Amino acid sequence: MTGLPRYLRIALGIIVIAGLIIVPMNFNRYGLFILSQWAVMTIAAIGLNLTLGYAGQVSLAQGAFVGIGAYAAGIMTSQGLPLIAALGVAIILCFAIGWLLGYPALRVQHHYLAFVTLAFSTLAFLVFRNEDWLTKGIYGISNIPRPNVFGFPTNRPLPFYYLCLGSLGIVSVMVWWLIRSPWGRAFVALRENPIRALSLGIDTRRYTLMAFAIGSALGGVAGTLYAPLTQYIDPVPFNLSLSLDLLMMVIIGGAGFFFGPFLGAMIAVLLPEWLRFTQGYYLMLYATAVILLLIYSPSGLLGILDRLMAERRTRTASALRAVAKSRLEAAP
Amino acid sequence: MTKVLEVSDIRKNFGGITAVDGVSFDVQEGEILGLIGPNGCGKSTLFNCILGQLTPSGGEVKVDGKVVTGLRPSALNRLGVSRTFQLLQVFPKLSVRENLILAGQEHQGSMLSRLFGPSDAGLTDAADQMIGFFKLDHLATEPAGGLSYGQQKLLDAAMAFMGGPRLVLLDEPAGGVNLTMLADLRERLATINREKRATFVVIEHNMEFVMSLCSRVMVMAEGKVLAMGRPDQIRANPAVIEAYLGH
Repeated sequence: MTGLPRYLRIALGIIVIAGLIIVPMNFNRYGLFILSQWAVMTIAAIGLNLTLGYAGQVSLAQGAFVGIGAYAAGIMTSQGLPLIAALGVAIILCFAIGWLLGYPALRVQHHYLAFVTLAFSTLAFLVFRNEDWLTKGIYGISNIPRPNVFGFPTNRPLPFYYLCLGSLGIVSVMVWWLIRSPWGRAFVALRENPIRALSLGIDTRRYTLMAFAIGSALGGVAGTLYAPLTQYIDPVPFNLSLSLDLLMMVIIGGAGFFFGPFLGAMIAVLLPEWLRFTQGYYLMLYATAVILLLIYSPSGLLGILDRLMAERRTRTASALRAVAKSRLEAAP
Repeated sequence: MTKVLEVSDIRKNFGGITAVDGVSFDVQEGEILGLIGPNGCGKSTLFNCILGQLTPSGGEVKVDGKVVTGLRPSALNRLGVSRTFQLLQVFPKLSVRENLILAGQEHQGSMLSRLFGPSDAGLTDAADQMIGFFKLDHLATEPAGGLSYGQQKLLDAAMAFMGGPRLVLLDEPAGGVNLTMLADLRERLATINREKRATFVVIEHNMEFVMSLCSRVMVMAEGKVLAMGRPDQIRANPAVIEAYLGH
């Protein structure tokens, strides 16, 4: 995206935002549910993208953090507490647990770290399922209310969609700020070359823990919206498969690209819906499309764009070098 | 003269192999000390022990009189100790300017203030000055991965100076750099040493580079110090000629 002129990027951004606000006005209840789900899953994927894509720390626990957020919202709002309070609890809880989960990342990396986070994901699922006194176990929590935002009820699908979209907007701006800050640069350094990062004074331990904690907290934010979206939660949606889905969203969209999770979540949430006309074949087609994409571009959809722009830059730089060389040779 | 670096009886064992065996030396403020020796003699291991990348099996390291043995590299860097690596260690996806900003940003305020401060940590001007100093002006916005090997070496060296270090340990800065760039690099290092009173320790195999840049040279062989002295004394030392320089 950075290869496009600034005015074109702004125009494109305005068109997309306007489209996300205006077009769904004509959607039916199911369409709005799917689009709200896309916004919620994008928030969770943005969190994972921060941990995995920017800071390079593998996590298979993002689904568990969505679950923690969802249960915080489900339990608290069922007791008459406002969703904003549940959001605060979810953020603090997920941030603290994410911070603790980051400690193994200081000692183990890659697939070993994946297994540590996998174990946490399983542990969280067991808590959701077995601690009936808190989570109501396999029966789940039903009739989760939707909140009033500044006095406006969000019971109907469209206002609730706007709540999800607005939350996605706020999260996006905050994460955009974060990755453009020196912290974002430190995260990239941590991913690309932790030894060099250390030698430049970057406290890799603290940044690793921060990457886990902030990414997890965003999982919690997504969960806080997921509970009132579905208005019923039980442990099943928060098992390992959600973590794997979120991982897939990040990888397909392009890990380490700001817009990767938006695109990845769109494909993971919307593509199966669009392919439903193929009836029994839609999952096969979906899986084939994902496999082909990752064979062609392991760095995801935005990786293709990035590669094309890098090639264009290289061609321009080569041309400039050739001109400079010919001038040098021609000089007396 | 103040001792910037004091290394006393540093040892490093890997299992049964002793890579560094009781090495001691001092480096005075503003000095450029060359560190030479055959491959595998323990030079880089010694660097890594001094810089906290490896924990020494024994001995002590002091920077400005303060014991820093076993301190993490990031903490050492914030004390004013910087380094370059034998192999290229730039961040290929970041631009040249961003590499330099990254190299200096952790010296600007606290972690929290950096989050809410300007995105460049107020370092764009300093980075551009460094870019100009190392003659990389036309490449400021290019991704570092697209630079030639020699240009990346210059960038690597420039990054080491972004935090305004007191002591810089350079591991084979001239390796793989063409003659024109080598002269540039030597001139840049000499200028920084002269103008900023920065102290260097340089590992290098290029004898001409070492002998013309360094005020003192230490020779290592089999993990020990074989000789120490002025470049002309080292050139004439029979033990050094026998073990490393050849006839």
